[in-house]
Amino acid sequence: MDRRTVLKGLAGAGGLALTGISAPAIAQGASARTLRFVPQANLANFDPIWGTQYVVRNAAAMVWDTLYGIDAQLQPQRQMVESEETSDDGKIWTFKLRPGLKFHDGEPVLSKDVVASLSRWAARDPMGLMILAIQQELTAVDDRTFKWVLKQPFPKMLYALAKNNAPCSFVMPERIAKTDPFKQITEYVGSGPMKFAKGEWVPGAKAVFEKFADYVPRQEKASWLAGGKQMQLDRIEWIVMPDPATAAAALQNGEVDWWENPIADLVPVLKKNKNISVDIGDPLGNIGSFRMNHLFAPFNDVRARRAVLMALSQEDYMRAIVGDDNALWKPLPGFFTPDTPVYNELGGEILKGKRDFDAAKKLLAESGYSGQPVTCLVAQDQPITKAQGDVTADLLKRLGMNVDFVATDWGTVGSRRAQKTPPGQGGWNMFHSWHAGADCITPAAYTAIRANGDKAWFGWPNSPNTEKEITGWFEAKNVEEEKAAIGKVNKAAIEDVVYAPTGFFLTYTAWRKNVSGITKGPLPFFWGVSKSA
Amino acid sequence: MLSYILRRIAATLPVMAIVALFVFSLLYIAPGDPAVVIAGDQASPEDVERIRQSLGLDRPFLVQFGSWVWRILHGDLGTSIFTNLPVSAMIGQRLGPTLSLMMVTLLLTIVVAVPLGVVAAWKAGSLIDRIIMGFAVFGFSLPVFVVGYMLAYIFALELEWLPVQGYTPLSAGFWPWLENLILPAIALGCVYIALVARITRAAMLEVLQQDYIRTAKAKGLGQGGILFIHALKNAAVPIVTVIGIGIALLIGGAVVTESVFAIPGLGRLTIDAILRRDYPVIQGIVLLFSFVYVLVNLMIDVIYTLVDPRIRY
Repeated sequence: MDRRTVLKGLAGAGGLALTGISAPAIAQGASARTLRFVPQANLANFDPIWGTQYVVRNAAAMVWDTLYGIDAQLQPQRQMVESEETSDDGKIWTFKLRPGLKFHDGEPVLSKDVVASLSRWAARDPMGLMILAIQQELTAVDDRTFKWVLKQPFPKMLYALAKNNAPCSFVMPERIAKTDPFKQITEYVGSGPMKFAKGEWVPGAKAVFEKFADYVPRQEKASWLAGGKQMQLDRIEWIVMPDPATAAAALQNGEVDWWENPIADLVPVLKKNKNISVDIGDPLGNIGSFRMNHLFAPFNDVRARRAVLMALSQEDYMRAIVGDDNALWKPLPGFFTPDTPVYNELGGEILKGKRDFDAAKKLLAESGYSGQPVTCLVAQDQPITKAQGDVTADLLKRLGMNVDFVATDWGTVGSRRAQKTPPGQGGWNMFHSWHAGADCITPAAYTAIRANGDKAWFGWPNSPNTEKEITGWFEAKNVEEEKAAIGKVNKAAIEDVVYAPTGFFLTYTAWRKNVSGITKGPLPFFWGVSKSA
Repeated sequence: MLSYILRRIAATLPVMAIVALFVFSLLYIAPGDPAVVIAGDQASPEDVERIRQSLGLDRPFLVQFGSWVWRILHGDLGTSIFTNLPVSAMIGQRLGPTLSLMMVTLLLTIVVAVPLGVVAAWKAGSLIDRIIMGFAVFGFSLPVFVVGYMLAYIFALELEWLPVQGYTPLSAGFWPWLENLILPAIALGCVYIALVARITRAAMLEVLQQDYIRTAKAKGLGQGGILFIHALKNAAVPIVTVIGIGIALLIGGAVVTESVFAIPGLGRLTIDAILRRDYPVIQGIVLLFSFVYVLVNLMIDVIYTLVDPRIRY
């Protein structure tokens, strides 16, 4: 009997047993203005520039505010900024802050704080680095005005400042923002709607946020990271639970109010409980992937990479990840997030239709593959990578490849995948991962699509065509141009097989029905959320 | 006795130094790099290298080890790579829940297992003996997480008597503290109770066959007196030994138990630290566990002399 079977069985039985039972005593005794939330992972550090994990970004979005915020239509909207002006040549951006903004320590938010914060952010963010590369100066004009002077236009400036991809351009007091971007801050003072209760922080177990009384929300309706972030709750407790069955039981029992991402196995149990709501959490979902090492045989030959694409079944991968729930996945003939404004499938034919093993084997033979071991790194401690690894091992074996299946943990994969040595000397041929759909809407924050050789993400693909089309997207001036550019990027990246997309999948979120105001989005938004007793 | 204890404590120092060197070396050669975990997926190799430098991970092995030992000698366990908090503070934060869990489990074990073992020995071969030993085999065979989930289902979800998860410090009241520990202690204690009950039974059986027990019976001493005054005291050495050794089992079992019941103890801290390659935290915890283990062994040796006057040092 394995652990997963046991937890499914017991959680299932628990769910059935609880159907029809009202909220238990523990929930009734708790304050209705305190929300207990189970995040996707442990909040191990709390510097959203130094540590770029999603969980850090999600917590930081409560504590620190941004100049602009991305809304549900994926458009950047003013947030801390009152107005902006661009010079005719597009090289000078002048921004003015909203009046009355305050940090949690009572100090006003000034331009000098913004300048220091943007400087620290830009040193660690891919789009920030692009701006830094063309920056002439970034200066505070007066307490509420600051100016960014560039050597050439950067049309995606507002998107860069609004985007929700980590690291976001959070604004901190100057004294904190002056910390080396490669060293961790020790004060968590922001100007966002919630304050971080550092004294109650137990890393790995609990993080507490309290309402900031002096927060000045915008008047517009909240929409993702944009608009009026009106807090209905006084206190939000993040309770880290490493065990999914425990989180499921705690939610059923009313000991927690909201579980960010229940695993697919336990969702049917939660759906049966009349006190619990379950819905898709992030409509932008995730893109499954495995990357092949372009530096070494056999995948240094594009024919070997294409052979794998011709044979892989995205359905096999997706079913391994999400099970039998068809609402949770869809095929993805490309690299970009479906159902977003510039989505395009141009060139995606190789991933569609019946899988052609005979043609794939022939192409693999043409590439010169002669049975050498293919080192496949699989992190067993991450269910998504484990599921994908098992499918890939089977795929490669059916293609007649000699698989060296390295089952290990995520920490080791993370370290080993950075090795550029040959597979037999500590390197690798392929590893598995996935990317948040929010990061894959455009090339703006999509590190995995970059194909600039040594500077590219692990696997180091070198595809000048892909890079050329990515530049075309950065230069696009409207949605139509962007959409056309994305199509070209997709086509070029598939032709050179920058990496192998294994499908698009969604995950659920679950909360007790006495909680309202939860919205779908790429991160959990706590503004507008309320709770009744 | 005092000189013996002092000699034993002195002897533990090289043991702990060897453990420290072993742990440090093991972590150094183990795959995995905290800088990679910190930098995240967006980071370039240059970013990762800068983080490695800022954490001092690029320095030679001996320099890193020497610096760590120097800090330890000055009472400083270092700073967590991830949280930027002192390791001693993190351990202190997590010590309460783990100690509480271990104490309640230990108490539960002694209260349940020793009488069960005594009764099983007294009724050796009977139905009662077979039932007790049957339960012992059952308890010994079930993994902690299976027992944990079953208990949570029955007593938390079904009956709603106890909470599913969490920990409340003793300062918040005795019952709030205890109610969070009952289910985890039973789950963790199952294996331990089974082990102690079986050892108690075996030790008691041996003692009950001794001449002096027959003499005690012949002179008309009651069952309770024979069992708990004459027999149990003489059977105590192996029981004390297994209880002591069991503390190591408890430390290992606490890792799983704390995860199943979401208790913020040292077990969870250990797992988190290992998965993130948070070297200073791992080193600090291993040192602490080694110290506890050495201390427990010392205490067992001392208790031997109290329960069996024939043992002298």
